Amino acid sequence: MSNTTSDDSLITTEVQADSNDDRAPLADAGTAVAARNLDVYYGDEQAIDDVTMEIPEKRVTALIGPSGCGKSTFLRCINRMNDMIEICRVEGDIEFAGKNVYDDDVDPVALRRKIGMVFQKPNPFPKSIRDNVAYGLKIQGFDGDVDERVEQSLKGAALWDEVKDQLDSSGLELSGGQQQRLCIARAIAPDPEVILMDEPTSALDPVAASKIEDLIDDLAEEYTVIIVTHNMQQAARISDRTAVFLTGGELVEYDDTTKIFEDPEEQRVEDYITGKFG
Amino acid sequence: MATDNAAADGFGEVSRVRGIVFEYLSFGASVFGLVALGVLLVYVAVDAFDLANASPEWLLTYFLTLVVPFLGFCLYSADDPDVTRRAVVALGGGLVAVAALFTAVEALVAPIPRLNWQLAYLFVVAAPVTAYLAYVGSRGRVGGVGFGLLGRLIGGVAIGLAVGTLFLVLDPLVWFLAYTLGILPAVGLYALGRGRSSSRAQTAAAPIGLLGLVAAVFLRDVVPVFPSDLIIYLWTIAVPVAAAGAVLVAGRSGRTAAAVVGGVPLAVATAGGFLAAGAGLPAPTVLLVLVLTGVPTGVYVSRVVDVGEGLVGLGLPLLLAAGVVAGALIVEAWGVPAPDPWLDPSYLTEAPSRTPTEAGLYPAIVGSVIIIAMVAVLSFALGVGTSVFLEEYTPESGPLGTLTRILQVNVANLAAVPSVVYGLLGLGLFANLLGLGIGTAVTAALTLSLLILPITIISAQEAIRSVPDDLRRGSDAMGATRWQTTKNVVLPEAMPGILTGTILALGRAIGETAPLIMIGAATTVFRAPDSLFSRFSAMPMQIYTWAGFPQADFRYGVVAAGVITLLIILVGMNGTAILLRNRAERGS
Amino acid sequence: MTDSTESPDLTRRGGLTRLKEGTYGGLFAACAAITLLTTAAIFVTLLSDAVVFFRSISIVEFLAGTNWSPNPAGGGQAFGIIPLLIGTITVTITAAFISIPVGTLTAIYLSEYATPNARSILKPLLEILAGIPTVVYGYFALVYVTPALKATLFPEMSTFNALAASIMVGIMTIPMVSSISEDAMSAVPDQLRQAGYGLGATKFEVSTGIVVPASISGIASSYILAVSRAIGETMIVVVAMGAQARMPEVRQALFGIPFVNPADVLFESGMTITVAMVQITGGDLTGGTLPYNSMFALGLALFAVTLVMNVISDIIAQRYREEY
Repeated sequence: MSNTTSDDSLITTEVQADSNDDRAPLADAGTAVAARNLDVYYGDEQAIDDVTMEIPEKRVTALIGPSGCGKSTFLRCINRMNDMIEICRVEGDIEFAGKNVYDDDVDPVALRRKIGMVFQKPNPFPKSIRDNVAYGLKIQGFDGDVDERVEQSLKGAALWDEVKDQLDSSGLELSGGQQQRLCIARAIAPDPEVILMDEPTSALDPVAASKIEDLIDDLAEEYTVIIVTHNMQQAARISDRTAVFLTGGELVEYDDTTKIFEDPEEQRVEDYITGKFG
Repeated sequence: MATDNAAADGFGEVSRVRGIVFEYLSFGASVFGLVALGVLLVYVAVDAFDLANASPEWLLTYFLTLVVPFLGFCLYSADDPDVTRRAVVALGGGLVAVAALFTAVEALVAPIPRLNWQLAYLFVVAAPVTAYLAYVGSRGRVGGVGFGLLGRLIGGVAIGLAVGTLFLVLDPLVWFLAYTLGILPAVGLYALGRGRSSSRAQTAAAPIGLLGLVAAVFLRDVVPVFPSDLIIYLWTIAVPVAAAGAVLVAGRSGRTAAAVVGGVPLAVATAGGFLAAGAGLPAPTVLLVLVLTGVPTGVYVSRVVDVGEGLVGLGLPLLLAAGVVAGALIVEAWGVPAPDPWLDPSYLTEAPSRTPTEAGLYPAIVGSVIIIAMVAVLSFALGVGTSVFLEEYTPESGPLGTLTRILQVNVANLAAVPSVVYGLLGLGLFANLLGLGIGTAVTAALTLSLLILPITIISAQEAIRSVPDDLRRGSDAMGATRWQTTKNVVLPEAMPGILTGTILALGRAIGETAPLIMIGAATTVFRAPDSLFSRFSAMPMQIYTWAGFPQADFRYGVVAAGVITLLIILVGMNGTAILLRNRAERGS
Repeated sequence: MTDSTESPDLTRRGGLTRLKEGTYGGLFAACAAITLLTTAAIFVTLLSDAVVFFRSISIVEFLAGTNWSPNPAGGGQAFGIIPLLIGTITVTITAAFISIPVGTLTAIYLSEYATPNARSILKPLLEILAGIPTVVYGYFALVYVTPALKATLFPEMSTFNALAASIMVGIMTIPMVSSISEDAMSAVPDQLRQAGYGLGATKFEVSTGIVVPASISGIASSYILAVSRAIGETMIVVVAMGAQARMPEVRQALFGIPFVNPADVLFESGMTITVAMVQITGGDLTGGTLPYNSMFALGLALFAVTLVMNVISDIIAQRYREEY
């Protein structure tokens, strides 16, 4: 079985090769986030099992795997959003900016100001477009020119041309895809180092999703993007590195995207990618 | 064989008689309480307005000048031939049916006391049809505009009167200083900070405002000369309200419109205030009513004109006013015998008396307004604080989770404690132990605040819980602290729900009597309270007192008028709350 | 991180931000603490004066005494709660005769028969019944209901009587029964109903045979809550029932079996615990006297009874919430 799939029926990686050729070779990138022996438990259930990985700076890293494999949990460990879940317990280290983010002296609030996040369902605040984008600036006590920053961020999220005349209307009046780009603009406005994306296109139609994909590619110029996705084609298209999680929160394989999709080391990964399960 | 027969007859039929009887029985049960209450309300309305003595001609006159044009307006707005047909059939058919039925009952069974068929028609047919048409009409463009304007006029008058009443106990001089030294600089600084996007100016606003308030209290007895009350109200309320209205309009429709919306009501109110002072009327109240009615009305009219739809609706208040005037003229000209209602302007502006015809509710109304204002502030602050703590600050599990559950159970149990027990708490704790005084407004306000606190908390919690978690997580992920998420995302979203719940709870507080009796509120006071520590009476207290008087004029007249007054205020408050909720639901 | 970018500071900040966070958290906690303090204050206030009262009047005398006359003037002072209990129980039971059947039927209608449109109109309207100030109900009972009953059904009725007051208490508590019962009935899963229809049951059979039994704990909890509300109701009875603490006359039926004619209780004035409390406020309110303290003893009894009923109702209600 696996012989027949090895060259043609695996996911095409041409798109991916296209999109990344303008960046320096992966080997040159520094490390933005590193997990070391990370275990996460929900009550008695283990959601992440001894994960160690280094995520390159200013690159797109995709986390893929079947539902319930712990990829979202891993993502939410990076900015400590799991703190909100009372039964969640984390062991091991996640290093960011030279610190273990689970150290006692780390303020999760300060951490999240450096790590933006985009959610599965667009969740703009019921405020004007301007106030949505300026939200992070407002809570961080930004003292510069807010309007300029709003414009920059909306341009960065490829939304400016569509909304520049209606900055004072509600963010909820936008279409789903526009709302998601508004959320991206909101995330990049305070100029974070890393942007976490939790299946950002799964609630969108294909056209809106492809716009977001293009945008993610651009974002990687300036930010480290870590994206959880269900969609393997998407991972292949947009990411530089791919991590495959399988059931039980085990990180089965983590490598350059090309390698994962063309010639994975593990049989299980190949089975997953070719759609045998998951 | 039996089975063959059954098959030949089809499936046969299972008897539904029991089911149908049961359905009608249960429907009857659902409306039983409402019908009973409706009948009682009809009687109390008849008594309060002396409608039993209203001649058919008088009823007909006002029906034609007031009700019919109003119905026409609603039908015009609804613009639906079906509705029109149904309304005409209901009004016409109802007339015949009620007249026939009523006469038959009177002839065959027994006379129905204090009602005639005209009144029965009015309450059973005309009133529901009018309410239905008002509802349908208000959903059309024209009707929406008309009712919107009417609502602002009535709301403005009510708020103006309430604010004027509050200044009977608040010291205008302290308020003047507090506004000038504290509120104005703080608001100015905040606006400046917002305009220039400088968070430093905004953070400075609160302490500076606070400093000003403290200074105001100290300076109260030091400053030798103060402007007159009228000037104070003009400077501290009329000017800022007019300015706020102008700012609102300026953003939308330009400077000229803004100047008109801000300037005209201000000028009219100022003139009205000085004229009233000359005429011996309470000038500040006149000023407040005029400006608080004029500015919102102006803002509304300017918006309607901008949108340009349903302009005809702006004529509704005029239509009604014209109806009243025309009715009065006809009654006067033709000498139609008119009823002598108990509930008339003098009832609302005069003190209680031993003579039924001279008795008034004024001091009790003032007492109620003052107490409710204090209860509103207290229960809102405590209710929001507690519900935020329970919903946003405490975890659901662990040792703190146990505390949350204890608090929750405690709140639920407090909600079910009889109100008379709260009265004992007020008497024992606030009046006697803390020495706030028996029967004072402060004691009453504190007691009633605690009484409605559980209801406020429970409804505020529901409102906060209905804020989607997505929004919280979105804010948290931006690096917002808990308080920032609460302040910027949760509370603004939950506010309409919280306000609705608070107003509904205040409706409960305004009708509570037992706790007031327990803390020794006066059964009758002849002067409106002039400080928070003076003895006071409240509307329900006065109703209770009068209901015990033996004279029929009190029982069937004066009290009925008091009941109607209280119920109208309640309906107004609850209506506002429901409008608020519907609006918020439509918005999201 | 590479060395080129400057490392962001992730450490906890002291100072103003933390202070602000802490202040707000503390403020909210203080608000929440006030609710606990209220309960504590109710307990302490009631207990402290009640204890003083029970130093002069023994608990047995209080609970078993058949004479209530707190006024020191005009004969002997006596603090027996029995006549007050009789008044309270009379009102509660009579009111329950209205609120329970009407409320239950209303709940069935709303949950099983009403169209969504009818439900959306009826439900808020029913809430009005609970929103009318109770003093207004009392006034209705005294001024309209009593004369109407007197003119039609019961000419021997006195001006102040228990029946009219009880009817009004019953009407007032209808929504308490109907809304909680309806919640419980609506919580019954549709599969159960469909199972019934699948067996050829009519709507009536499904409503009474499946939905009601399935939601019985919720219905029961609503009854208890309505009864507890009726026990604590004050203004309706104060205005309409009068203020005579009486023991009903015990008559002898056939073979000397004692009985009480309901008419003796219902058509005459009486006194409930709440009325007794209100009546004492006519006197001295600064404290220290025996009647003053007796008010708190009555309040304690009332508080204890309603609290226990609410807790029971809560426990029962929990059952139906857990079931589905």
